Amino acid sequence: MNGFVWRRAVAVARKEVYHILRDPATLGAALVLPVFMVIMFGVAIEFNVKNVALAVSDSDQSQSSRRLLDTFGSSGYFLIHHVSSPHAGITDVSAERARAALVIPPRFEQDLFAGRGAEAQVLVDGTDNSTVGPVLGYVGSIQNMASQRIGGFDPSPPYEIRTRFLFNPELNSKWFVIPGLTVVVMSILSILLTALTVAREWENGSMELLLSTPVLPLEIIVGKLAPYGILGIIAVVFVYVIARTVFGIPFVGHLWVFGFGCLLFLITYLAQGLLISVATRKQTVAMQLSMMTGYLPSQLLSGFIFPIASMPAFFQYFTMILPARWFMLIARDTFLEGSSVLELAGPFLALALICGLMVFLAARRFKRDLEP
Amino acid sequence: MNDLAVEVKGLSVRFGDFYAVNGISFTVRRGETFGFLGANGAGKTTTIRVLCGLLRPSEGLVSVGGISFDHNEQAVKAKVGYMSQKFTLYNDMTVEENLNFTASLRKMEKATYEQRRKELFDFISFDKPLNTLVRDLSGGTKQQVSLAAALLHDPEIIFLDEPTAGVTPASRSRFWQLIRQLAKRNKTVFVTTHYMDEAEQCDRIALMREGRIIALDSPEGLKTAAFSTPMLEFDPRGSLSFAEVSAFARHDVFLFFEPYGLRFHAAIKSEDAWETVRNGFEKNFTIKRIKPSLEDVFIQIVEGKAG
Repeated sequence: MNGFVWRRAVAVARKEVYHILRDPATLGAALVLPVFMVIMFGVAIEFNVKNVALAVSDSDQSQSSRRLLDTFGSSGYFLIHHVSSPHAGITDVSAERARAALVIPPRFEQDLFAGRGAEAQVLVDGTDNSTVGPVLGYVGSIQNMASQRIGGFDPSPPYEIRTRFLFNPELNSKWFVIPGLTVVVMSILSILLTALTVAREWENGSMELLLSTPVLPLEIIVGKLAPYGILGIIAVVFVYVIARTVFGIPFVGHLWVFGFGCLLFLITYLAQGLLISVATRKQTVAMQLSMMTGYLPSQLLSGFIFPIASMPAFFQYFTMILPARWFMLIARDTFLEGSSVLELAGPFLALALICGLMVFLAARRFKRDLEP
Repeated sequence: MNDLAVEVKGLSVRFGDFYAVNGISFTVRRGETFGFLGANGAGKTTTIRVLCGLLRPSEGLVSVGGISFDHNEQAVKAKVGYMSQKFTLYNDMTVEENLNFTASLRKMEKATYEQRRKELFDFISFDKPLNTLVRDLSGGTKQQVSLAAALLHDPEIIFLDEPTAGVTPASRSRFWQLIRQLAKRNKTVFVTTHYMDEAEQCDRIALMREGRIIALDSPEGLKTAAFSTPMLEFDPRGSLSFAEVSAFARHDVFLFFEPYGLRFHAAIKSEDAWETVRNGFEKNFTIKRIKPSLEDVFIQIVEGKAG
C-alpha cells in the first residue's frame, strides 16, 4: 500500500505534459528558446574582432609606407581610410569614426634604409577594451609580415616562437560558444520551468488536493520532473545536431561522456528548481530566484563568455560551487578535446558532489513540507 | 463495525506559539451530515486538513473511518474524498482528463472507473461532452464535476471545505440537493461553510471560535440552548433615528437587540420583565414572536454576545 506506484507517477507526468502543451509560454520557452539562443550566439554574436576602422595618416607617401598599408589592408581585420594629418586621425578616433589610427611619419622609408629604425605609430581607442587586445595582437603580427615585405629582410631574432592553436586552429569563436550553449539552454529549461510548475501547484492549491489522495510525495516529484528532464535532453540533442550540421563544429569526444555530464547537470538543476519552488511557493519569486541562481550564473559565471581565470580570486573560488562551471568544462572538452572521464575526473567529481547535495536538500525539504 | 466515521479527542494544532486548533473533541456518526461553522481563522480548515491527512496534529488522537492516522495514513486517504474551496479542477485539461487523472491516482480499474463516471454524471446531471475544457464550464458546473472527482473512488467520508464559495445561489441550492442525496446513500459528509442556510441543512453543527468548539448540536438543539427565553422580531412603524435605536438596544430587558434587514431581532431576559415594558415598545414597533435563526445563534454564541 505504501510503496512507489509507477502508474501514479506516470499519471502526474501525463498531466504535466498536458500543461506544457497547452501553455504557450512554457511551450515557447521549450521550443523557441533553444532556436533563438543558437541563432543569437551562433550567427549574430562574433567574438573575433574584424573590420576595425583604421584612420591612416601617411606623411611619407613612399613605396615602403604603401607596402605597410597593404599589409594592414590585406590582413582582413582592418578597414582603411586615409586622413590628411595625424591630428585628423586622432579626431576620427575620438569621434568614433575609427577605432584606431596609424600614423606614418615623413622619412619613414629613408630611416628604414639608413638602418636608423623606422617608426610608425598606432593609436587605439582605449575606451572599448574588448577591441584593444585583439587589435594589439593583429598589429604585432602585421609588423612582422610587413618587415619582410618592405625590407626584404628577415627581422626575426635568433629564436622563434611559433604558435599553433590546438583543438580550434582557426580560433573560431562559434566552436567555443555553441558547445557552451548546451549549459545555458538546459539551465533555462530545467531550473526555471521546474520551479514554476511546482510553485504553480502550491499557488492554486492543487498540491494540497493531490496530497489528499494516496499519491506519495516521491511519485509527485518523479512525475513532475520527468517531462522537464526529457525537455532538457531534447534541447541538448537539438543544440548538438545544429552544432554539428549547421555550424560544422567537430565532436571529438565520447558521446556517452557528454551524455553522462548532461544527465548529472540536468538532475542537479531539476533538484535546484524543486528546492526553489518548495521554498518560495510563489511563481513570481520562484522565477526571480531561478534566474538569479540558475540562468544568470550559467551565462555569466560559468566561463561561457567571460573566462573564469580572468575573474577576481573571490569569484574564481565562488564559481566552484556552481554546477554550470563544471558542466561548461565537460561540454567544451568533450566537443573539442575529447578527454575521457578519467581526464575529466575533477569536473565530474565536483558536479557529482553538487548534484548529490542538491538532491539531498530538495528531497529533505520537499518531504518535510509535504508529509503531514 | 464502528458506528463512528470520525473520532477526534483533544486535537490541537500549533504553529509556533499560535494554536490554530486548541484541544477540540467531537465525533461524527456514519451517514451524518456534519457542519463546521465559524468565522475566518476559527480553525475550520486546519481541522479538515488534519482529518484529510494533510497536517499532523500537535496533540490529540484522530481516527477517520475507524483507522488512526498514526498507523496508516494511506489507508485513511483511500477512504476519504476531499474537495477544497480554493482548487477544484485543472482548467487547462478536459473533464475527462481531470477525472482520468484522479482515477489513476486512486489506482482504479478502467471498467470500475468508467462505470463510476457514468453513475456520477447521472448523479450530477452532467450532459456536456467529455472533452469540454474545464475552463469553459460555469462555476456551478465546475463545482459539481469537482464533487464527482472527489466521489470517484466511492469514499465512505466526504470532506467539503466551503464547497459553494463563489457560486450562484441557484448552483448552491443544486449542490446541497446533491449533498442530501449523498446522505440518503449513507455517506458521511463533513462540510465547512459560511452560509447559515447551508448550516441549517446539516444534521449537527459544530460552532468554532479561536480554535475551540464552543457549541455542538443539531440546529434545533443549538437554537433551544442559545435562547431559553423567546425571540422577538421588531418591525418599526415609522423611521427611527440612530439614537433611538441605540437606546432600545441598550435596554436592560434584552440579551441582545440586533438589526436584521429592515427589522430587528431581540432576545429577552425574562417574560416578566418584558411584560412591564412591552406597551412602550409597541408604540414604535409591530412585535411578533419568532423562532431564532442560526444567524441569531451565531451572534449569540460565536460573537460572544452572551458574554
